[in-house]
Amino acid sequence: MIDFSSPRHRAKFGYMLLAPATILMAVIVVYPILLSVNISMQDVRIADIAKSEPWTWKNYRWLVKSGEFWNAISVTFWLVLFVASVSLAIGLSTALLVNQRFKGRTLARLLVALPWAVPEVVAAVIWAWIYDGSFGILNWFLLQLHVVKSPVEFLADPTSAFFAVGGAMIWKGYPFMSIMLLAGLQSIPEEQYQAAKVDGASTWARFVYVTLPGIAPVVGVTVVMTTLWVFRDFSIIYVLTKGGPLGSTSTLSILTWEQSFAFFRMGHGAAVGVVTMVLCLLISRALVGRFAQNVH
Amino acid sequence: MNLKALATAGTMALSTLLGSTAVNAETLTFVSWMKDEKGYGDWWNEVIAKFEADHPGVTIEMTKVARAEYADTMFTMFAGGNPPDIVHLAAFEYQPFADTGWMEDLGPWFEKANFDLTGWAGQGTCEWKGQTYCLMLLYTSYILAYNDKLLADGGAALPTDWDSFLDAARKATRDTDGDGVTDVYGVALDTTIGTTMMGDLLNFVLDAGGSWTKDGQPTFDSPGVIEGLQRWKTLVSEGLTPNNTGSGDLRQLMSEGRIAMRIDGPWIYSATRKAGPDVIDHLKLTQSPLDPPVGGTSNVIGMPSSLSPEKKELVWDFIMLAGSAEMQDRFATLGLSPAPRPGLDYTEQEKSVPYFDLYAAANKRAADAGIDRMPKGLELEYNQVAKIVGEEVQRMVIEDLDPAATAATIQKRVEELVAG
Repeated sequence: MIDFSSPRHRAKFGYMLLAPATILMAVIVVYPILLSVNISMQDVRIADIAKSEPWTWKNYRWLVKSGEFWNAISVTFWLVLFVASVSLAIGLSTALLVNQRFKGRTLARLLVALPWAVPEVVAAVIWAWIYDGSFGILNWFLLQLHVVKSPVEFLADPTSAFFAVGGAMIWKGYPFMSIMLLAGLQSIPEEQYQAAKVDGASTWARFVYVTLPGIAPVVGVTVVMTTLWVFRDFSIIYVLTKGGPLGSTSTLSILTWEQSFAFFRMGHGAAVGVVTMVLCLLISRALVGRFAQNVH
Repeated sequence: MNLKALATAGTMALSTLLGSTAVNAETLTFVSWMKDEKGYGDWWNEVIAKFEADHPGVTIEMTKVARAEYADTMFTMFAGGNPPDIVHLAAFEYQPFADTGWMEDLGPWFEKANFDLTGWAGQGTCEWKGQTYCLMLLYTSYILAYNDKLLADGGAALPTDWDSFLDAARKATRDTDGDGVTDVYGVALDTTIGTTMMGDLLNFVLDAGGSWTKDGQPTFDSPGVIEGLQRWKTLVSEGLTPNNTGSGDLRQLMSEGRIAMRIDGPWIYSATRKAGPDVIDHLKLTQSPLDPPVGGTSNVIGMPSSLSPEKKELVWDFIMLAGSAEMQDRFATLGLSPAPRPGLDYTEQEKSVPYFDLYAAANKRAADAGIDRMPKGLELEYNQVAKIVGEEVQRMVIEDLDPAATAATIQKRVEELVAG
């Protein structure tokens, strides 16, 4: 009988307690990743987990030569940059706004967070009708205001479709940024602002030297999470454009789905998925590391 | 008897009881996008009810999966080693399943049952690499749905060929309230990339004498395809159809009285029945003005090769029931269109089902011309080919390219795809 209370065996008891959670994590997180890597190394159209084909680099060679893959990398990069930066700007602005004391603040906070509560597919369908080139409300407004002379096909032109998709994603994603930053703002001790005021710091100086360093860790984590969300988001793009027109909104997640389930080329799809995962890991590590350095 | 012995005996009795129940009570799983659909869903319910009545103790558990994620779901189920017992698939998507060896060759089963497939509409599509993997459940062809008031308001006559079709589309497309926005479109084309768009485009290609393939080889740069592309470009560029709109939304717009004409399958009748009283009386169907009309196989039924012999027998019984004269007759009544089984007497349906004779005549026109919307020889790559065609057609419209150049690009990309 092992005496778990003895100093010699105390660590074993800790490991035993952790074991169920660790094993569960391994099953639901690590196993699918290993399965994806395994499929990505097989020359198969349709993967069968019951039998494995010999490993090959064929799918990765296809990736390197595929114009669709490099287009998806480019679209994903620009979409991440656009959505994350604009969401950060809007999220920070709204967080600063609702952090002030004013009448109706609770309602304002509710309104800021509202898009986040709307299910993603519902939001995408709403935006599809807003952008509709024939009967969309956005065109109606633009025509009423005499901004345009004829309806604009927002989702039929490659450039406007990119920004339309980005716009819908920003609308859906900025509340998360806002809520997180608001929590960050509220964690900054009031004494720091008072000390800065005593030293004669202007509003801008207090923002730059007190507020920004105070919320930097939250910004880092939130930007990482928004980046990962844009990387993996599928439903908004699928409902609005299905990756078109002419591949202008075809991100890595759309390409993964398309290869796996539309073209039945699961080897290709898994290879895109594995590359996406590696990119997400690298970006997360780089961003978290950078913001963590800023704090200390 | 002490408590331990009593518990042991009780447990054994219970396990025996449960074991025997499991042997006698069999459940067949069945996944379909048609569950709860008016018409076809009702037909499936009748087939299931009759099957369960004929097979006491056997129940069929039917689950609905939306069409949009159907292929994904079925692939995941098969790849995970847990396919449904009764396999229901679209006619254009069963081939990869058969190619992977996941589906049972039904040839020997048909032979054993002495089931005559001669004249069974679209059954040829169930042949894959010399074997029969399914039973065709629907072969149908396109007809013209139109709003006679919108055509009359625009001063357009009912079209009888391409030229009159284009003329009617131009006349019916109007901004009725002068706000600069088109309120009524002459035609409705699915301009979102996919197989439906390719089907819509095929209307014009066939009418121009073209086809996607010949003897299994791609012919996207043939004169008929180029002319079809030119017609598509004309309709889209002139704003005669809503752009970037899928077929579901187009049918909805037709129900709202904003579309004058759409060439579609017979399902458009059911889809537009929810139109308001001021629209529904003006929605009518007639033969497609384009010749030959697009026709095609729709959905199939089969069984997984991995099933136990006992379950295969049950699933085979289910397939036979679905293909029986009685159920095929009910299919025609509830599905409002001719069934694939030959030799059925449609006298009753012609009296009770609106436009039944129109559907039957359209099917004959398409079948006689040997039309199938799926390109023969490109079945495995159908979705990828549809994406290539869709992308290049979009590029042709956006960048105002010459249809001949677009056709050449499609041909080159498809050849590269086939070559691997």
